[in-house]
Amino acid sequence: MSVLDDLLLFTALASVAIIVLRRFAFISKFSVVVYVLATVLLIKMSALGYGGEAVYSSFTVNVLGQVLQWRFDALSWFFALITLVVALFTALFMSGAWGDKYRKEHSKEAYGLLQVALILNVLSMLVLLASGDLLSLFIGWELVSWASFMMMALNPDKVARKAAIKYIVYAMAGAMAILMAIAMTYNMTGSLDYVQVMQGMAQLNNSQIAVLVSLYAIGFGIKMGVIPFHLWQATAYAETPGAGAVFMGAISARMGLYALILVIVQIIGLTRVAAIEIPYTFLDMQNALAWVGALTTIIPTYIALKQNDARYLLAWHGVGQGGYMLLGVMIADSIGTAGGIMHVFNYATYQAALFMTVTAVIYRTGTSNFSKLGGLVTQMPLTFMVMVVSIIGLAGIPPMNGFVSKWLIYRALLLDGQPLLFVAAVIGTLGTILSVYKLVHNTFLGQLRLEHQDVREAPLSMLIPMLGLAIIIFATGVMPGVVLDWVAAAQIAIGIAPVEHNLGGIELVQGGLNMIWVTGVMFYGFAVGAIIFYFLGGKSKHIHQYDNYAGGHFLTSKVRYHYSNHFYAGLMHLIGGWYRNIFIKLEYALVSLVSFMSQLSENFYRSSQPAMLVAAIVMLALWYIMSADGSAPVLVQGLQGGMSK
Amino acid sequence: MTSVTELLAELLLMPFIAFVVGLAMVLMYRKIAARLQRRIGPPLLQPIYDIVKLYGKETQISHGLIHDIGLVMAVGGYVAAEIFLPVPGMDGIADKGGIITLSYVLMVPSLGLALGVGQCANPNGSIGISRALTAMLAYDIPFIIVVFGVATHYQSTSLVGMIEYQQIHQWGIFEMPLLAVAGLFALQGMMGKQPFEIYVAPAEIATGPMVEMSGKYMGGLFVMQTFQLYTAGVLYTSLFLGGGANWFEFLVKIFIVVAIPMSVALVFPRYRTEDMVRIMWKWPVMVALIGIAFVL
Repeated sequence: MSVLDDLLLFTALASVAIIVLRRFAFISKFSVVVYVLATVLLIKMSALGYGGEAVYSSFTVNVLGQVLQWRFDALSWFFALITLVVALFTALFMSGAWGDKYRKEHSKEAYGLLQVALILNVLSMLVLLASGDLLSLFIGWELVSWASFMMMALNPDKVARKAAIKYIVYAMAGAMAILMAIAMTYNMTGSLDYVQVMQGMAQLNNSQIAVLVSLYAIGFGIKMGVIPFHLWQATAYAETPGAGAVFMGAISARMGLYALILVIVQIIGLTRVAAIEIPYTFLDMQNALAWVGALTTIIPTYIALKQNDARYLLAWHGVGQGGYMLLGVMIADSIGTAGGIMHVFNYATYQAALFMTVTAVIYRTGTSNFSKLGGLVTQMPLTFMVMVVSIIGLAGIPPMNGFVSKWLIYRALLLDGQPLLFVAAVIGTLGTILSVYKLVHNTFLGQLRLEHQDVREAPLSMLIPMLGLAIIIFATGVMPGVVLDWVAAAQIAIGIAPVEHNLGGIELVQGGLNMIWVTGVMFYGFAVGAIIFYFLGGKSKHIHQYDNYAGGHFLTSKVRYHYSNHFYAGLMHLIGGWYRNIFIKLEYALVSLVSFMSQLSENFYRSSQPAMLVAAIVMLALWYIMSADGSAPVLVQGLQGGMSK
Repeated sequence: MTSVTELLAELLLMPFIAFVVGLAMVLMYRKIAARLQRRIGPPLLQPIYDIVKLYGKETQISHGLIHDIGLVMAVGGYVAAEIFLPVPGMDGIADKGGIITLSYVLMVPSLGLALGVGQCANPNGSIGISRALTAMLAYDIPFIIVVFGVATHYQSTSLVGMIEYQQIHQWGIFEMPLLAVAGLFALQGMMGKQPFEIYVAPAEIATGPMVEMSGKYMGGLFVMQTFQLYTAGVLYTSLFLGGGANWFEFLVKIFIVVAIPMSVALVFPRYRTEDMVRIMWKWPVMVALIGIAFVL
């Protein structure tokens, strides 16, 4: 038995155990132990992260001559590491005070189901990441979709249920696209095995590749929430119960990116994708996908700017940050791909931390609505600190880790000579800075509300995972080489030249990056700033927040003296008109069309002419058989081709 | 690799020089304003008197820890940024960063100030920050296009490398005149002077980020302003005017660069926030994009 067998079996058994034991109080501690052990098993495979050979599972299934197999390579290992670490932090976060409150507010069963959903998500993700051929990839894909659906559907709220249903409709549409693409791949190459498909791809012509790439990109893109499939994600993740949102927001949608890298970058190969010109435009297919990534950074980020609820704001940023990853991967040189893949790790750390801080605020105040918050920094200083560290990461400002991956993407765009994509990426970053300030200002800064005067710091069981993540965000920002090692191994696994790096960052002749120096200089600067502030000048006196300039008026607790509504009024005055809900209208039109068609056919079938319908179907079937003209249908041809190999 | 003494010299001297030069730039601004308004203007040491006065005040009002830390971040971020800006004879550490890193380090002071003002719990301050961040969105887009063009032209993101190239060949302003014009426009917004000074709102008491700032907090902002002027001048000089072969040439260049937006500022009234965004996204962006087309 290989370590991969151990890991998958262990997680499967743990899932069964958690399902059985879900109502007991010790389940929260138990699940933490489970994730720790699973992480240990994963670390046993850590040779993968430094260029080791792929680990195969000894378990295979034969279906109709196809061998279903499972394996871990460096890319799977990297994603699995993020998944398990996030799951571990999530389990820690929900094991203490948050879990107790959730139990009390809902039920033991509800809390147990949350734990079940978490482990099922982890298990299905591991199965997906371990897939060794297209069929097992599809199985894993479906498992992930339904596990996510379970997590989302745990919130009994009407909005949440609706979002979950919407998600599963999108996910099924995506799955159909993938299934079709897999069937076509099989047809054209005669195999589902990655290596054989990769060889078979060389024989295909450009139009076949174009169809395959579009279908795969649609299928995987739906999970990632890229434009124009971004509508389902934010509501679904934001409405997932607190700790669940931490996990889902941090990693769930990245499974789409994993599959996309695997199929489009590794198996099909970006040189083939780049060879396809899109008619009537100056773009090739690779550039088009990069533009999808760029638009995905811009549009959801500016939707996030308009949100008035912390959870929704973060969830929309989650959609937007996915765009950076796609953009980075689609640049296709070693630096850009490294940036895209590294961003998955960085994003997971700060997004998990951010959702945790917001969940902690909800835990203490009962709301995440910006109009009902403010001034909490005096009450929850550590939570505030974690949030500041994470938003610096999210906004991509040094010295946090988000800066490094974004720097790599910018640098690759510069080297590649892509001014418009570069500007698009920067517009996304600037929008992020605006909206994260809105997040931190409206929650933690400004005036403290009267009803929040007695709010205390988040409980220790929630603070520990939050602080742990904050440390990771900072440490991997100062020493990005730790993560870049794994990223470089993943790049080798997908057939791209690994990025040349050292512990502090990137070495390039034409201007590299050394984060150890950058951080050192920044902290030196802060030290000088602190000396100037604290040792020069008079001693400052802390005063009450009502002791404020109010144009001659006296401020009391009755006066609400806080600016949070319509925060970027000046900007919205200009760009407010650009929000036209085009995609919502498109989606609505599609829904109307489908419901109209289904009513039409229902009428036809039920009330009008059942006999006619049967006759029409028979006719169609006959026509199909006749038109095949003696030769076997296409699918069988493919099968024969596969067998003759 | 730089030796330890050089390293220490750079760490200590670069921010100090930036501060002194920045003070002189503040004085220059006041002198230009005075001459244009037919006044004599302040004496030579007036900026120093101002800082000493602000730091020495007896009443220093703090609105909480983040108010203090915000000020530390605002000044400290600029101190760090100055070390990443190469000056004649001192470019060892600057080589570790580069233009992209520098652009993002320059956002740290804004973030610090924003956090500090937020803690003051005064809506007028918060409005100022919301305007300041909007302004940043406005001027950073043309600025980043210019940076892209310049970096593509020199095939490098290292400021030190760019300066070397220019000193061997010719100044960037002659090779990329359109980008230089767009850069100057963006610089006007970056410096927070008229016509784009609504977010600073220095003339009003009750609006803008400074509403709760007094004593050494105001002094911190004053220090920040000196750094801001110096940074703008040096950055533009490094990108387009070939840096400086020696200190005299260097200083002349940066003072001229800063004097241009200052003179423009004093004859203009003020744009509203959304008008600033509109004008910044229109003209400099257009010019810079055309400029990039020439570079590529």
